[in-house]
Amino acid sequence: MSFPNISADVIWEVARNNNSFLVKRSKHIGGGGGVQFSRDPLNPTNIHSRKYAGFVNDKAVGVVPTEKGVQVVSKKAGSGNKPAASKYSVNYTKSTRKTFKSIANQTAKSGYRPDLRAAAVARASAIRRSQRPVKPSPEPKLRGNAAKKAAQA
Amino acid sequence: MVSAKKHVPIVKKRTKGFMRHQSDRFKCVDAAWRKPKGIDNRVRRRFKGNLVMPSIGYGSNKKTKHMMPSGHKAFVVSNVKDLELLLMHNKVYAAEIAHNVSSRKRIDIIARAKQLSVKVTNPKAKVTTEV
Repeated sequence: MSFPNISADVIWEVARNNNSFLVKRSKHIGGGGGVQFSRDPLNPTNIHSRKYAGFVNDKAVGVVPTEKGVQVVSKKAGSGNKPAASKYSVNYTKSTRKTFKSIANQTAKSGYRPDLRAAAVARASAIRRSQRPVKPSPEPKLRGNAAKKAAQA
Repeated sequence: MVSAKKHVPIVKKRTKGFMRHQSDRFKCVDAAWRKPKGIDNRVRRRFKGNLVMPSIGYGSNKKTKHMMPSGHKAFVVSNVKDLELLLMHNKVYAAEIAHNVSSRKRIDIIARAKQLSVKVTNPKAKVTTEV
Protein backbone atom coordinates (compact mmCIF):
# COMPACT_ATOMS: atom_id res chain seq x y z
CA MET A 1 0.00 0.00 0.00
CA SER A 2 2.96 2.24 0.78
CA PHE A 3 1.21 5.12 2.48
CA PRO A 4 3.51 8.04 3.19
CA ASN A 5 2.55 8.10 6.88
CA ILE A 6 2.16 4.38 7.69
CA SER A 7 5.07 1.98 7.51
CA ALA A 8 4.76 -1.46 5.95
CA ASP A 9 5.72 -3.00 9.29
CA VAL A 10 2.71 -1.44 10.98
CA ILE A 11 0.37 -2.66 8.24
CA TRP A 12 1.81 -6.15 8.57
CA GLU A 13 1.45 -6.25 12.35
CA VAL A 14 -2.17 -5.10 12.07
CA ALA A 15 -3.17 -7.37 9.20
CA ARG A 16 -1.07 -10.48 9.70
CA ASN A 17 -3.59 -12.35 11.83
CA ASN A 18 -6.61 -11.66 9.69
CA ASN A 19 -7.00 -10.21 6.22
CA SER A 20 -9.13 -10.89 3.18
CA PHE A 21 -6.36 -12.76 1.35
CA LEU A 22 -5.49 -15.10 4.22
CA VAL A 23 -6.60 -18.75 4.04
CA LYS A 24 -6.29 -20.67 7.29
CA ARG A 25 -6.87 -24.36 7.78
CA SER A 26 -7.31 -26.63 10.77
CA LYS A 27 -4.22 -27.63 12.69
CA HIS A 28 -5.51 -31.17 13.13
CA ILE A 29 -7.47 -32.47 10.15
CA GLY A 30 -7.09 -31.58 6.49
CA GLY A 31 -4.94 -28.53 7.03
CA GLY A 32 -1.46 -29.97 6.65
CA GLY A 33 -0.72 -28.92 10.24
CA GLY A 34 -2.36 -25.49 10.20
CA VAL A 35 -0.89 -24.10 7.00
CA GLN A 36 -1.62 -20.50 6.06
CA PHE A 37 -1.84 -19.47 2.42
CA SER A 38 -2.57 -16.14 0.80
CA ARG A 39 -4.80 -15.36 -2.17
CA ASP A 40 -3.01 -12.06 -2.76
CA PRO A 41 -2.42 -11.56 -6.52
CA LEU A 42 0.83 -9.78 -5.64
CA ASN A 43 2.12 -12.80 -3.71
CA PRO A 44 4.28 -14.98 -5.99
CA THR A 45 4.26 -18.08 -3.75
CA ASN A 46 0.81 -17.99 -2.04
CA ILE A 47 2.66 -18.38 1.28
CA HIS A 48 1.39 -16.05 3.99
CA SER A 49 4.57 -14.32 5.14
CA ARG A 50 6.02 -10.84 5.53
CA LYS A 51 8.41 -11.26 2.63
CA TYR A 52 5.81 -12.37 0.09
CA ALA A 53 2.87 -10.26 1.30
CA GLY A 54 2.18 -8.04 -1.70
CA PHE A 55 -0.42 -5.85 -0.05
CA VAL A 56 2.05 -4.88 2.69
CA ASN A 57 5.32 -4.18 0.95
CA ASP A 58 6.07 -1.02 -1.02
CA LYS A 59 7.40 -3.15 -3.83
CA ALA A 60 5.93 -6.50 -4.76
CA VAL A 61 5.79 -8.85 -7.72
CA GLY A 62 2.86 -11.03 -8.71
CA VAL A 63 2.47 -13.43 -11.62
CA VAL A 64 -1.02 -14.25 -12.89
CA PRO A 65 -2.12 -16.41 -15.83
CA THR A 66 -3.58 -14.85 -18.98
CA GLU A 67 -5.15 -16.46 -22.05
CA LYS A 68 -1.88 -17.34 -23.72
CA GLY A 69 0.87 -16.52 -21.25
CA VAL A 70 1.51 -14.77 -18.00
CA GLN A 71 1.06 -11.27 -16.70
CA VAL A 72 3.59 -9.86 -14.27
CA VAL A 73 2.15 -7.26 -11.91
CA SER A 74 4.27 -5.04 -9.73
CA LYS A 75 3.69 -2.02 -7.54
CA LYS A 76 4.93 1.49 -8.07
CA ALA A 77 6.50 2.67 -4.85
CA GLY A 78 5.17 5.93 -3.51
CA SER A 79 1.68 5.98 -5.01
CA GLY A 80 -0.21 4.29 -2.18
CA ASN A 81 -2.95 6.89 -2.24
CA LYS A 82 -3.85 6.00 -5.82
CA PRO A 83 -4.33 2.20 -5.89
CA ALA A 84 -5.43 2.14 -9.53
CA ALA A 85 -2.36 4.01 -10.74
CA SER A 86 0.04 2.09 -8.50
CA LYS A 87 -0.17 -1.16 -10.51
CA TYR A 88 2.30 -1.79 -13.26
CA SER A 89 1.65 -4.84 -15.42
CA VAL A 90 3.40 -6.49 -18.35
CA ASN A 91 2.00 -9.29 -20.49
CA TYR A 92 4.31 -12.05 -21.68
CA THR A 93 3.25 -14.39 -24.48
CA LYS A 94 6.68 -15.22 -25.90
CA SER A 95 8.56 -18.48 -25.35
CA THR A 96 8.97 -19.59 -21.75
CA ARG A 97 12.72 -19.11 -21.61
CA LYS A 98 12.45 -15.56 -22.91
CA THR A 99 9.63 -14.92 -20.46
CA PHE A 100 11.78 -16.10 -17.54
CA LYS A 101 14.64 -13.91 -18.68
CA SER A 102 12.40 -10.86 -18.89
CA ILE A 103 10.89 -11.58 -15.46
CA ALA A 104 14.36 -11.97 -13.96
CA ASN A 105 15.37 -8.65 -15.51
CA GLN A 106 12.21 -6.95 -14.34
CA THR A 107 12.42 -8.14 -10.71
CA ALA A 108 16.11 -8.47 -9.95
CA LYS A 109 18.43 -6.91 -12.50
CA SER A 110 16.74 -3.56 -12.25
CA GLY A 111 17.18 -3.75 -8.46
CA TYR A 112 13.43 -3.81 -7.82
CA ARG A 113 13.03 -6.88 -5.58
CA PRO A 114 16.03 -9.20 -6.14
CA ASP A 115 14.80 -11.56 -3.41
CA LEU A 116 11.65 -12.39 -5.38
CA ARG A 117 13.35 -13.41 -8.61
CA ALA A 118 13.36 -17.17 -8.00
CA ALA A 119 9.77 -17.18 -6.75
CA ALA A 120 8.49 -15.10 -9.67
CA VAL A 121 10.24 -17.24 -12.26
CA ALA A 122 9.08 -20.45 -10.58
CA ARG A 123 5.51 -19.23 -10.58
CA ALA A 124 5.67 -18.24 -14.24
CA SER A 125 7.04 -21.70 -14.99
CA ALA A 126 4.24 -23.41 -13.05
CA ILE A 127 1.61 -21.31 -14.82
CA ARG A 128 3.05 -22.06 -18.25
CA ARG A 129 3.11 -25.76 -17.41
CA SER A 130 -0.54 -25.62 -16.37
CA GLN A 131 -1.45 -24.06 -19.73
CA ARG A 132 -0.26 -27.10 -21.66
CA PRO A 133 -2.91 -29.45 -23.05
CA VAL A 134 -3.75 -32.18 -20.53
CA LYS A 135 -2.76 -35.71 -21.43
CA PRO A 136 -5.70 -38.10 -21.25
CA SER A 137 -5.23 -40.59 -18.42
CA PRO A 138 -4.77 -44.21 -19.55
CA GLU A 139 -7.72 -46.60 -19.40
CA PRO A 140 -7.68 -48.50 -16.10
CA LYS A 141 -6.63 -52.12 -16.54
CA LEU A 142 -9.26 -54.68 -15.70
CA ARG A 143 -8.26 -57.01 -12.89
CA GLY A 144 -9.54 -60.20 -11.33
CA ASN A 145 -12.91 -61.56 -12.51
CA ALA A 146 -13.58 -58.60 -14.77
CA ALA A 147 -10.35 -59.33 -16.69
CA LYS A 148 -11.29 -63.02 -17.04
CA LYS A 149 -14.70 -62.11 -18.43
CA ALA A 150 -13.17 -59.66 -20.90
CA ALA A 151 -10.67 -62.30 -22.08
CA GLN A 152 -13.45 -64.82 -22.76
CA ALA A 153 -15.60 -62.38 -24.71
CA MET B 1 -0.30 -37.28 -10.84
CA VAL B 2 2.69 -35.54 -9.32
CA SER B 3 4.73 -37.35 -6.71
CA ALA B 4 5.80 -35.75 -3.47
CA LYS B 5 9.17 -34.23 -2.68
CA LYS B 6 11.79 -36.65 -1.36
CA HIS B 7 11.59 -37.02 2.38
CA VAL B 8 12.96 -39.05 5.27
CA PRO B 9 11.03 -42.29 5.83
CA ILE B 10 7.82 -41.89 7.81
CA VAL B 11 8.09 -43.79 11.11
CA LYS B 12 5.04 -44.30 13.29
CA LYS B 13 6.43 -45.17 16.72
CA ARG B 14 3.09 -46.55 17.87
CA THR B 15 0.05 -47.30 15.77
CA LYS B 16 -2.23 -48.57 18.55
CA GLY B 17 -4.30 -46.08 20.48
CA PHE B 18 -3.92 -45.23 24.15
CA MET B 19 -6.74 -46.79 26.16
CA ARG B 20 -8.05 -45.23 29.31
CA HIS B 21 -7.36 -47.23 32.47
CA GLN B 22 -10.17 -49.68 33.31
CA SER B 23 -12.11 -48.85 30.11
CA ASP B 24 -12.01 -52.61 29.44
CA ARG B 25 -13.78 -53.33 32.74
CA PHE B 26 -16.71 -50.92 32.80
CA LYS B 27 -18.89 -49.93 29.89
CA CYS B 28 -19.50 -46.56 31.49
CA VAL B 29 -15.75 -45.83 31.23
CA ASP B 30 -15.02 -44.78 27.66
CA ALA B 31 -11.71 -45.69 25.97
CA ALA B 32 -10.88 -42.03 25.30
CA TRP B 33 -7.64 -41.23 27.10
CA ARG B 34 -7.80 -39.66 30.56
CA LYS B 35 -4.69 -39.46 32.68
CA PRO B 36 -5.03 -41.45 35.89
CA LYS B 37 -4.63 -39.24 38.95
CA GLY B 38 -5.05 -41.63 41.89
CA ILE B 39 -2.38 -41.85 44.60
CA ASP B 40 -2.01 -45.61 44.30
CA ASN B 41 -2.76 -45.98 40.58
CA ARG B 42 -0.54 -48.60 38.96
CA VAL B 43 -0.90 -47.17 35.44
CA ARG B 44 0.18 -43.74 36.64
CA ARG B 45 3.14 -45.32 38.45
CA ARG B 46 4.09 -47.17 35.23
CA PHE B 47 4.15 -50.67 36.69
CA LYS B 48 5.26 -53.50 34.48
CA GLY B 49 2.52 -55.06 32.36
CA ASN B 50 0.13 -52.14 32.67
CA LEU B 51 -1.29 -49.80 30.05
CA VAL B 52 1.15 -47.31 28.62
CA MET B 53 0.48 -43.62 28.91
CA PRO B 54 0.88 -41.20 26.02
CA SER B 55 4.01 -39.09 26.17
CA ILE B 56 5.89 -36.73 23.94
CA GLY B 57 8.35 -39.48 23.01
CA TYR B 58 5.71 -41.11 20.82
CA GLY B 59 5.56 -37.97 18.64
CA SER B 60 6.42 -38.10 14.95
CA ASN B 61 9.50 -36.64 13.38
CA LYS B 62 8.77 -32.98 12.69
CA LYS B 63 9.75 -33.47 9.07
CA THR B 64 7.14 -36.18 8.49
CA LYS B 65 4.42 -34.89 10.82
CA HIS B 66 0.97 -34.65 9.16
CA MET B 67 2.35 -36.51 6.16
CA MET B 68 0.26 -39.07 4.29
CA PRO B 69 1.96 -42.27 3.06
CA SER B 70 2.32 -40.61 -0.36
CA GLY B 71 4.51 -37.92 1.22
CA HIS B 72 1.96 -35.13 0.74
CA LYS B 73 0.08 -33.17 3.35
CA ALA B 74 -3.67 -32.82 2.89
CA PHE B 75 -5.19 -29.43 2.20
CA VAL B 76 -9.00 -29.24 2.18
CA VAL B 77 -10.43 -27.41 -0.83
CA SER B 78 -14.04 -26.45 -1.47
CA ASN B 79 -13.73 -24.87 -4.90
CA VAL B 80 -11.37 -24.20 -7.79
CA LYS B 81 -10.19 -20.96 -6.21
CA ASP B 82 -8.89 -22.85 -3.17
CA LEU B 83 -7.14 -25.29 -5.47
CA GLU B 84 -5.23 -22.49 -7.23
CA LEU B 85 -3.40 -21.83 -3.95
CA LEU B 86 -1.56 -25.11 -4.41
CA LEU B 87 -0.11 -24.12 -7.79
CA MET B 88 3.37 -23.65 -6.31
CA HIS B 89 3.03 -26.38 -3.68
CA ASN B 90 2.02 -29.49 -5.60
CA LYS B 91 5.00 -31.45 -4.25
CA VAL B 92 4.18 -30.78 -0.60
CA TYR B 93 0.39 -30.48 -0.44
CA ALA B 94 -2.35 -32.57 -1.99
CA ALA B 95 -5.90 -31.30 -2.38
CA GLU B 96 -8.66 -33.00 -0.45
CA ILE B 97 -12.14 -32.08 -1.67
CA ALA B 98 -14.38 -31.14 1.24
CA HIS B 99 -17.22 -33.53 2.06
CA ASN B 100 -20.02 -31.10 1.22
CA VAL B 101 -19.02 -30.37 -2.39
CA SER B 102 -21.47 -31.59 -5.05
CA SER B 103 -20.44 -34.06 -7.73
CA ARG B 104 -20.91 -31.39 -10.44
CA LYS B 105 -18.33 -29.11 -8.82
CA ARG B 106 -16.05 -32.01 -7.95
CA ILE B 107 -15.64 -32.67 -11.68
CA ASP B 108 -14.49 -29.07 -12.23
CA ILE B 109 -12.04 -29.27 -9.32
CA ILE B 110 -10.56 -32.57 -10.52
CA ALA B 111 -10.15 -31.26 -14.08
CA ARG B 112 -8.38 -28.12 -12.88
CA ALA B 113 -6.19 -30.16 -10.52
CA LYS B 114 -5.02 -32.18 -13.49
CA GLN B 115 -4.02 -29.01 -15.33
CA LEU B 116 -2.13 -27.73 -12.29
CA SER B 117 -0.73 -31.24 -11.64
CA VAL B 118 -2.01 -31.20 -8.09
CA LYS B 119 -2.77 -34.55 -6.50
CA VAL B 120 -6.35 -35.03 -5.29
CA THR B 121 -6.67 -37.51 -2.44
CA ASN B 122 -10.35 -38.31 -3.03
CA PRO B 123 -10.92 -38.05 -6.81
CA LYS B 124 -13.40 -40.94 -6.93
CA ALA B 125 -15.73 -39.80 -4.19
CA LYS B 126 -19.24 -38.93 -5.44
CA VAL B 127 -17.97 -38.89 -9.04
CA THR B 128 -17.84 -42.58 -9.98
CA THR B 129 -20.91 -44.77 -9.95
CA GLU B 130 -21.07 -48.43 -9.05
CA VAL B 131 -21.71 -50.62 -12.09
